[in-house]
Amino acid sequence: MDIRRALVVAVATGMLAACGGGDVRGTARGDLPEEDRYGGTAVIGSISDIPDINPLTSTETLAAEMQQYVLFLPVIHYDENLQPVPALARSWEVNADTTQLTLHLRDDVFWHDGVKTTAYDLAYAYEKARDPATAFPNTAFWTHYGKGTAVDSFTFVVEMQPHAEFMDPWRTFPAVPRHILGDTPSAQLRQHPFSTRAPVGNGPFRFVNRVDGQSWTFEANPDFPEELGGRPYLDRLVYRSIPESSTLLTELLTGRIDFFTALNNDQAALVESNPNTRLINYMDRSFVVIGWNQRRAPFDDIRVRRALTHGINRQGIVDAVLYGYGVLANSTVPPFFWQFDDEAGSDMTYDPEKALALFAEAGYTRGPDGMLRNAQGQPFRFTLNTNQGNQVRADIATIVQADLRRIGVDMQIQILEWGTLLDRINTRARDFDAVLIGWRTEFRIDDSDLFLCDKIDEPFQWIGHCDPGLDALINELPLITSREASKPKWVEYQRRVAAEQPYTFVYFQERLHGVQERLRNVHSDARGDWVGIDRWYVNDGPRSTGGAGE
Amino acid sequence: MISYFLRRLLGSIPLLLGILTLIFFIINIAPGDPTARYFNPNISPEVIAQMRTNLGLDQPIHIRYFKWLGSFAQGDFGYSFGQLRPISEILPTVLWNTLQLMIVAVVMIFILGMLIGIVQAVRQYSVVDNVLTFFALFFYSMPSFWLALMLILIFSLKASQWGWPIQFPASQMTSVGYEFFSTGERITDRFMHMILPALALGVGGAAGIARYMRGSMLEVIHQDYIRTARAKGLSERIVIFKHALRNALIPIVTLLGLYLPILLSGSVLVETIFAWPGMGRLIVDAIFQRDYPLVMATSFIAAGLVVVGNLVADVLYAVVDPRIRTE
Repeated sequence: MDIRRALVVAVATGMLAACGGGDVRGTARGDLPEEDRYGGTAVIGSISDIPDINPLTSTETLAAEMQQYVLFLPVIHYDENLQPVPALARSWEVNADTTQLTLHLRDDVFWHDGVKTTAYDLAYAYEKARDPATAFPNTAFWTHYGKGTAVDSFTFVVEMQPHAEFMDPWRTFPAVPRHILGDTPSAQLRQHPFSTRAPVGNGPFRFVNRVDGQSWTFEANPDFPEELGGRPYLDRLVYRSIPESSTLLTELLTGRIDFFTALNNDQAALVESNPNTRLINYMDRSFVVIGWNQRRAPFDDIRVRRALTHGINRQGIVDAVLYGYGVLANSTVPPFFWQFDDEAGSDMTYDPEKALALFAEAGYTRGPDGMLRNAQGQPFRFTLNTNQGNQVRADIATIVQADLRRIGVDMQIQILEWGTLLDRINTRARDFDAVLIGWRTEFRIDDSDLFLCDKIDEPFQWIGHCDPGLDALINELPLITSREASKPKWVEYQRRVAAEQPYTFVYFQERLHGVQERLRNVHSDARGDWVGIDRWYVNDGPRSTGGAGE
Repeated sequence: MISYFLRRLLGSIPLLLGILTLIFFIINIAPGDPTARYFNPNISPEVIAQMRTNLGLDQPIHIRYFKWLGSFAQGDFGYSFGQLRPISEILPTVLWNTLQLMIVAVVMIFILGMLIGIVQAVRQYSVVDNVLTFFALFFYSMPSFWLALMLILIFSLKASQWGWPIQFPASQMTSVGYEFFSTGERITDRFMHMILPALALGVGGAAGIARYMRGSMLEVIHQDYIRTARAKGLSERIVIFKHALRNALIPIVTLLGLYLPILLSGSVLVETIFAWPGMGRLIVDAIFQRDYPLVMATSFIAAGLVVVGNLVADVLYAVVDPRIRTE
């Protein structure tokens, strides 16, 4: 329709170059030679709106994607093997005792308004991010970091304690334009037009406009440094927010959206069977758990928790609810991390017999009606809470209910509106038995909020788990800089978590995207949905045949 | 007439204030917190506490109420927690987006509904009447979100797969690249985006109006003065449209006022499904995010629309029924 026409017009200039001969490897659906890739518009769709794009204040996952790959240039990037590679920082070094990190910045990166990006911008961003009044969401980044100073225009030095994966924060952290935000009080940064209406970045795409609740539009930044890839292939990039996912799927299938970010699992088959779209899937860091509130009996009994996990057919859940796009989880460590130990929790199989044996040990026996009862004759009955508006979780809850019923556990399901659920599990009263909830592991794993004894009254210690042995590991691991030295301890950590079953870890899920065939060179992976977006290109029928200009 | 109008407007002020006060306390006392959406493993509790201070949520509820009331009385709706902007900047666009949809839907409801109702009344118990009755009841009893999904399925997804000449976009108000379109293309584009949501919003209402219109028309048609009109030798067209319709319209017109709030609540689902950036979606998002200032502002607009809708109905009532005017 009209989009197509607009695209053909937009790429017409790029076509002249294509006519000049060259490598014609490209088939209608294959790869285009380098010089033919420039031009066109790609449309990304997602159900979430992005109200705030300021790297210092935004909290949405997709806002972070936009900052890392579209609008800003973070200090470093990760390569496919999750190893740091240069981005805004041309190089970096640490001193002998790992207490000082020096970042050498590029001198050819410009803010989109023409001002050069310097170490002073980075120092400004760093200072603001550490100021509590800013309420920078990822303050955990700086736990082991200290004072940072711009030594000269392109050198930034920051003090730190030796700690593991110390480059990780810089993967998502860009400089911000000091000449624009300079005088804004930290508490007002969130409301600055820079956050919502007029962001100025230094990344491969620059901001064009935003329509409230509808779209963000970006265009190629021609001045992006050649060494980092130069001008992106796409002329324009449009982000559209469409809250209803079946509408979004329709828009993908009918060609009005090129990239459906975070597809539902039940939509994957339709995307695969459609001739014009393909599915991209990869293992992600998100997982789903059932938290057992250990402040309440009998969940304080490790045997009961282990019995419950044995009683739940987790593989059945992966197959039925995720359509197979996931693997069983046994701790907070995703399977593709170097820390991962595949032995941990391998004994936690679906085994109703074992579950019943453990329940018997804990004093629960099956009555004539098949239901478990304790010595006082009280049935094993509890309520599982989860949030409303998430069909996957509702389905999991139903399966868990049926599985547990088979071994005589009477579980009720209560689905609560998100705010209400959080109120129940986050506040001191902790008025719940069990909760089905999701979580995401960072590349630098830090589970202190989840498990530490002295955080037991903090919001995220939902389950009230306390094990000094686990605490010791959680406190020690982040400070070991060598991977070799810490690996055995990571193994110990995972095995300990799996043994104690503070949570029943249900699964790690794959992230799914639906992509138009015309959108090429898309290589999303665990680093990010839109990683490498500056190398995406559109391959429209007329362009790839060489002479079909209009 | 004007003094009546003013009296009605003044009378609605305490009503609105009461509604808003009630909503203020309900939404503030409801479980949940505006900072809950920042909930994320990386966000430490101290950050959340800081955000609460930044948003002014650390103050007791009665203080917040009087603060809100004070600025509201001065016409200041405050700042949206969720959208991080002054609400006075957000509302006009969003309200206008919804009004466009509602106006199209209302026009469709009344024209379509009235025409169908008239045809049915004139041809009472005929095949046409029965068929129309069936469809009217069918659409009347269909929830708007289901109709919306079906419209998308048929006129967007299937239309594209089956290669129909006309395919409708399923979301938002404009196509990508709208800013490069010519004026003609822009009008077409807006129109194409408007049709499905307006249908989803209006069809149920039109079916309802058709039922009312049929009943009202039948009542009038059997009056003596209609028989007199026919006996005078007037053409059937004049009898129906001049003598009967005018009287049959009186009860229908009052419905106009009632339809505004119904449409507004219908727009909540329809706007979400079609990604239409209007009031309905804004209200729901605001409530889920516990965006208190935005909840208050949108509630005020919604309550205001209901009051205005009723007022419009009363005025129209006077227009179609001269007896009211003379009283």
